[in-house]
Amino acid sequence: MAIIQAILDGLMIGGVYAVISIGLTLVFGVMGIVNFAQAEFLMLGMFVAYYAWAWLGLDPLLAAPLAFAVVFVLGALVHQVMIRRVLKAPAVAQIFLTVGLLIVLENAALLMFGSSFRSVSTPYQTSALQLGSLFISVPYLLAFLMSVASGAALWLFMRTSWFGRAMRATAQDPMAARLLGINADAMHRLAFALGVALTAFGGAVILPYLTVSPTVGGQFVVLMFTVVVLGGLGSVAGAVVGGLSVGVIQSLSALAFPIQLQNLVLFVVFIGVLALRPEGLLGGSR
Amino acid sequence: MTAPLLEISNISKRFGGLAALSNVSAEVHRGEIVGLIGPNGAGKTTLFSTLVGLHRPTSGAIRLNGRDLVGLKPHKIAAAGMVKTFQNIALFLDSTVLDNVLTGGLMRHSVEEARILARQCLERVGIDHIAGKLARDLSFPERARVEVARALCTEPEILLLDEAMAALNHVEMDEFLSLLRDLRDEGLTLVVVEHHMRAIMSLCERIVVLNFGQLIATGTPQEISRNPAVVQAYLGRSAETGAH
Amino acid sequence: MILGMTSRKAVFVAVVLAIALVLPFTIDPRGYTIRILCLMLLFAAMGQAWNIVGGLANQMSLGHAAFFGIGAYTSTLLLIHFGISPWIGMIAAGIFGGVAAFVISLPTMRLRGHYFALATLAFGEVMRVIGNSWSSLTGGPVGVSVPFAKPSLAMFQFKDTLPYYFLMLAALIVVTIIFVAIQRSRIGYRLQAIKENVDAAEVIGVDTTRTKIFAAVVSGVLMGCLGTFYAQFQYFFDPDTVFGVASISVRVAMIAIVGGIGTAIGPILGAMFVIPMEELANQAFSAQAAGLAQLVFGALLIVVILVEPRGFVEFGRRMVRRFRKGASR
Repeated sequence: MAIIQAILDGLMIGGVYAVISIGLTLVFGVMGIVNFAQAEFLMLGMFVAYYAWAWLGLDPLLAAPLAFAVVFVLGALVHQVMIRRVLKAPAVAQIFLTVGLLIVLENAALLMFGSSFRSVSTPYQTSALQLGSLFISVPYLLAFLMSVASGAALWLFMRTSWFGRAMRATAQDPMAARLLGINADAMHRLAFALGVALTAFGGAVILPYLTVSPTVGGQFVVLMFTVVVLGGLGSVAGAVVGGLSVGVIQSLSALAFPIQLQNLVLFVVFIGVLALRPEGLLGGSR
Repeated sequence: MTAPLLEISNISKRFGGLAALSNVSAEVHRGEIVGLIGPNGAGKTTLFSTLVGLHRPTSGAIRLNGRDLVGLKPHKIAAAGMVKTFQNIALFLDSTVLDNVLTGGLMRHSVEEARILARQCLERVGIDHIAGKLARDLSFPERARVEVARALCTEPEILLLDEAMAALNHVEMDEFLSLLRDLRDEGLTLVVVEHHMRAIMSLCERIVVLNFGQLIATGTPQEISRNPAVVQAYLGRSAETGAH
Repeated sequence: MILGMTSRKAVFVAVVLAIALVLPFTIDPRGYTIRILCLMLLFAAMGQAWNIVGGLANQMSLGHAAFFGIGAYTSTLLLIHFGISPWIGMIAAGIFGGVAAFVISLPTMRLRGHYFALATLAFGEVMRVIGNSWSSLTGGPVGVSVPFAKPSLAMFQFKDTLPYYFLMLAALIVVTIIFVAIQRSRIGYRLQAIKENVDAAEVIGVDTTRTKIFAAVVSGVLMGCLGTFYAQFQYFFDPDTVFGVASISVRVAMIAIVGGIGTAIGPILGAMFVIPMEELANQAFSAQAAGLAQLVFGALLIVVILVEPRGFVEFGRRMVRRFRKGASR
């Protein structure tokens, strides 16, 4: 029974992991760049939601779209100023640029917000629904539902809107896309901004059950990468599969291992996937 | 009849659902120059890649000097004496010509010895004057020759040449053919893929013809040029695309 | 030609060496500056060890802290529990560093670029987590102190900073010599071939697997040994420091890249820039606010990468070419 509870919790958390990580895979799929600073945008989203709660009394779930918007603009700016310039540079330079960005964002947050851990308190924070002998934590459930909603919105956007299809075209065949009049640079900017904004959205949504500090990104880095590599770098559907898998793996390992070693299981899985099937379960586009 | 140097027995190679090679068998004797021809997509490069270990055959056997090569990594096959050149020239572009060729000699020699050997190989192929140039800055014919020189530097027993003459003009090609004949006289065995029919006919003692991954004919140049299946393979294609 | 260098280069190296040997006597031997110089030398050596994998083999490792931390812990624990001299401990540190490098080589053999970077990053983190949780062995997150002994060369402990300086300098020279030796050897040519075209390399007889593993293991052994140097110099460390992504892994890679990845002088230039820069940023900004120093530092890194992704050496070459073009008008 504990196992079923763990799996249930894992699936719900996993849904959130999926949304958090979709941005990473989107950027890689469209631009071929791995954004090592992605988790910092998660942290920024959490902070936007936190201050919306502290100053405006907004529930983090309602503030999530705000976090999305703010980080979207920031992401577009970052792309314009930095990311765009290393598109054709060797992988070494790309990796280091985003690592530098990681350092800048984390320390800027440290300067602006201080290093203390903060958390919100919401009326539903400790409530849970009961389903037979299973408990469904309300914050988890709400986070999961918000994630599903945003995931569905993204899916619709990618499938039906002109922008979405243009982005996919740019990802699949940049030359052909250009010939069709699609501005690749603008598509990259859209993909990057969208990617980091989605991660920020996910951050806001998990705030009710986590604490935020400028260093919170570090906890999620390997997790996010495990999700996208497991699902296949570049595959949005893969991020969903990867997210759910990672959520369940994490949840199950919490049953067996003390808290410090839980991440160890994840890391080992990560290395294992890279070693045995780098293209992921669903096979990436690159 | 002495045992063949290279025995290819019922080699098949599938990529997913596509059969790139089906039941190909052939023999190459020491000191022969064998031609491998066939229309584009016939599987010639795939066969070469399989022989040197870049692909593992789905079934069949490859024996060099009686030794089974299937499953061995390319560097082991190179050590056993079989090396190929690449159709889409695979030089180390950020290295000099000398360094490119030298690397081939490192299997059996120190860096200094390999350097001397490399210079000799460059001389034989007639390009020692460009030894210091970066591979990136070479013309296509020059690159093709460096490929050959590099392969020679591995001191192979049998060399598989994949369209090494593609970018050569008339005069260059005659020089190259003469070089190949000299190499054969010195003990090297050659299998040559070429589209220049004149070159193949004048150079090779025996020709093997592939089409759609299958062996459709083998024989002397005269026999091959009169073989209806071969003619069909080459002309049949263009007849299909004609206005019928 | 002297030692394979043109006479111009040999003179240059001799001059630099002479300066390096004399420099510590011109400054306060107990002061702060000489400690910074020691760290600079140590990190230059670490960058050079990384350079073997990152520069020669072209594999972006973001997990070199794993070997470094293993080395630091190995020699220190041997010292604490068995009283073994850190010099002997260093041999064990090197061995374990090499073993770890071998272990991580196997699953990452076919990975390149970003995938390789991610896998090595995860490996470094694995070590850090183990370091933090295996408290009975490592002392846990609290860290471990090098036991105090009477200052002596045999026990690798000194009262003054000067002996450390010369030992670090010697370490840097040794690692650089190893780097250049590999670069010029058969392995060096093979690594270059692998970097450019793996298939072609294999076909002409290069055992790509063995070559890559060799480079990784040498790099791991050297990082392990340097971990011992660090432990004996700092007297105290914890898992987050010696296994840290930012504190070690990224830093040593950055040093080699900023200076000029794949060149022998790159990590030295890089360390000469990065370490003093960090210290200056710390000094100038830490008083005002935590994080400002690192922020400035990160921003600087971004600027450097944007201006010349291939580091100072390439930047220097570009400037020289531009200068020559202008002069010939």
